[in-house]
Amino acid sequence: MGLIEKQNREMKERARENFKPYTEKEKAALAAKYTPEQIAAIEAGEAAIDPVDMNEGGVIRSDWGTLDYLDDFSTMRTMVDRNYFNQDGPKDPNARMMTEQESMEANHDFLKKIYEENPLPEDYNPENEEHVAKLRPNRKDLLRSFDEVPSSMGTHGPIKEPSLMAPGIPIDIESELDQSEVVKKKVETQEEEDTRDPDGVYDRFRKQTGLTLDEILKLNCKILVQHNVTNQTRLGKIQSVYALAISGDGDGRLGIGEAKGQEPLDAMNNAKMQAMKSMQPIPRYEERTIFGDVEGKVSAVKVQLMSRPPGFGLRCQHLIFEMARAAGLQDLAARVPRSRNKMNTVKAAYQALMKQRIPDQIARGRGKKLVDVRKVYYGGRN
Amino acid sequence: MSLVHLANVCSHLQNASKARLGLTSIPSTNMLLTLSLALQTSGFLSSVTRGGLTPPRLDTLSSYVPEPVTQENVSTRRLWLGLKYYNNEAVLSEMSMISKPTKRIWMDADGLARIVRGKEAGFVKGLTKPGESMFVTTDKGILEARECVERRVGGMLLCRVL
Repeated sequence: MGLIEKQNREMKERARENFKPYTEKEKAALAAKYTPEQIAAIEAGEAAIDPVDMNEGGVIRSDWGTLDYLDDFSTMRTMVDRNYFNQDGPKDPNARMMTEQESMEANHDFLKKIYEENPLPEDYNPENEEHVAKLRPNRKDLLRSFDEVPSSMGTHGPIKEPSLMAPGIPIDIESELDQSEVVKKKVETQEEEDTRDPDGVYDRFRKQTGLTLDEILKLNCKILVQHNVTNQTRLGKIQSVYALAISGDGDGRLGIGEAKGQEPLDAMNNAKMQAMKSMQPIPRYEERTIFGDVEGKVSAVKVQLMSRPPGFGLRCQHLIFEMARAAGLQDLAARVPRSRNKMNTVKAAYQALMKQRIPDQIARGRGKKLVDVRKVYYGGRN
Repeated sequence: MSLVHLANVCSHLQNASKARLGLTSIPSTNMLLTLSLALQTSGFLSSVTRGGLTPPRLDTLSSYVPEPVTQENVSTRRLWLGLKYYNNEAVLSEMSMISKPTKRIWMDADGLARIVRGKEAGFVKGLTKPGESMFVTTDKGILEARECVERRVGGMLLCRVL
């Protein structure tokens, strides 16, 4: 009905806007640099690539080998890019540390300048608090001197080195020292008690991890193993309860925790808490399965985990199924060929999941280039 | 062509990388030399050098010219292999035989294609672990299994490396 043709035409126009052909001016500039044969090759290359492909091709990577920040590397960002200090001009070959004398003089000059700019009032009274507060140089000036007074000597006098603070961190000495601000902040951070957690069980955990109570309550926690254990002493048998819990956020993080206690409830709660605290990210391929086959072994238990295609499901025994579900895996097969002790099965499966080798890392180790064929085939959108 | 040397080399390279050695030596035979070169092209080894009983100097490893093999020194020739480590892990961590000295296994390109895709063929397990490689001796030399499939050649399966 002409709908698709229209859509295609619009898509082409959009692509053409982003990837314009060379203008006459640009062609002239190219002709100055390249031979006619090279120009012909460039034009053939340009003609061979469809602008629609170029427009659709670029995707934001989300796989395991990506950086944890968004960047197209077109500009230098001082916070993350290395070699920042080497960027600003040539270095003085005669630069050296200041001697004690020179350093003292430099500090003296700095403080003296501040003193001269802020002279004492005529009616200065050391008992008047307002006067004392206005006295310069004060503690702030002293702190600023650490950052601003040069400590190296070059060919033409003192050199100001780059700040030792990480570049980009604002040096705001004023607000750091202002006590009233600090007190205000402290008051602000005191939260009200939540009805869902009246005993404050998660208070410490929240502070340690920065998770909100909603996020904590949403975690998938489960007791997988629970049994009685006995300690034989000369006074008799002492019974206690052992529990092993797993915890996952359904999005690639999984932890296991163990606890023992006199009361089953205590042991279970402690185990869950331990599991939440020990949550770690596990590598996932396409956020659905694992990277290739892995094996974990704890004691006599051997667990083999195998990656599977999309839509396969979690075809594994119940303990590993629960772990995979908590971690957010959707396609997985597993085999436990030897002993099937429950506790060790869980531990071995966890070990196997953590032991995965990431293709990106392998490729870097071997110095090879590696391409995920699935991603290339589906244009990075699968 | 005995495979006994290869069996020893497989174990030796595993032991050497567990011991975090930078340089180790194996017997110098033509098959082991071509296998080492194949391992080097696959990125498992950093250097392959022919030498005597003492290791060649590390700083001359790339420009080193080995002394010619004569009847007098042939028994003392060794291959010196540079091992690689990345992120505190050995790049070559596992190496095991497929053909055994008493049971050789040959496979055609179709069988190798199945293995490369992670399926089992002729009682040989597929390459299912990430980064796993298999080396095959063919009439085009010792090749990686994936290259064999690409060039449609079969041969005798030597070892799998991880």
